[in-house]
Amino acid sequence: MISNKQAKREAKQLFRLCRVESLLDENRVRQVVQQVNAGSHRNYRAILDEFLRMVKLDCAKHAATVESATTLSAEMQAATEASLKRVYGPGLTTSFSDRPSLIGGMRIQVGSDVYDGTVEAGLAALEKRF
Amino acid sequence: MSAFYAFLQAAPNNGDGQIAQIARTFGVDWTHLGAQIISFGIVCLVLYKFAYGPILAMLEERRRQIALGLANAEKIKAELDRTEALRREVMAKAYAQAAQSVEEGRTAGARVLEQETQRAAAAAEQIINKAHEAAAVDHDRMLAELKREVGRLVVQATASVTGKILTPEDQRRLAEATTKQVVM
Repeated sequence: MISNKQAKREAKQLFRLCRVESLLDENRVRQVVQQVNAGSHRNYRAILDEFLRMVKLDCAKHAATVESATTLSAEMQAATEASLKRVYGPGLTTSFSDRPSLIGGMRIQVGSDVYDGTVEAGLAALEKRF
Repeated sequence: MSAFYAFLQAAPNNGDGQIAQIARTFGVDWTHLGAQIISFGIVCLVLYKFAYGPILAMLEERRRQIALGLANAEKIKAELDRTEALRREVMAKAYAQAAQSVEEGRTAGARVLEQETQRAAAAAEQIINKAHEAAAVDHDRMLAELKREVGRLVVQATASVTGKILTPEDQRRLAEATTKQVVM
């Protein structure tokens, strides 16, 4: 039985092995999961839990959600994606969606960073000021 | 009796025979007379010893007692006078003390009245201040609520209107502004 601290340390090492040029390699992740599952490690469950948590965090860090009140044109989507990749790196996955309740403008979330230029956010700020 | 002795003294001028004659005339027997005088003296002595003596002693005792009673009465009267004077003095002192107490009571009452009046005034002022503060707090709260409500209505109205009046160009411009935020 290994300690939780040790499991975290080992998961971190496995996570580092899965990175290629600061990006997470999907194939390596699969291989690591299979190896750990197949291996006779005494605390493989804790290692896998920690490893998956780190993978999820990395995925969230490299996933951008773009919401807009109206459907963005293809040029606008490309420009936005390019801007995001310039800031967050080429491994960023961007998804676009429509949300009419935003009234106008666009809202971008990358990991814990949020860029809100929507009319809804402006009105909420105005209401808070009242 | 004195006339008889005067007659006996006058008798030598007239001679013994005349006295004897008179004694005989009146039937005086000198022996009997002497015996009677002696017995009378004895009676007098006995009476003095057993009758007048005790009576006189009793009278003397009565006199002494009366004198003592009178002296006592004088003494009692003096004592009464002294007691009366003392009573008057005590009463005067009591009156003075009572007057002083009344005066002190009045002073203390006035002081207490003054203190209570001041305290009541302070309490009243405090209550008024609290009421003012509460009114101010209520006023501020109501004003804030009114602001919030007005803000909510403004936002609601703006939200319902803005969506309709924003053109595709406005939407594009807003989106570009957000993209610029990312790059900055």
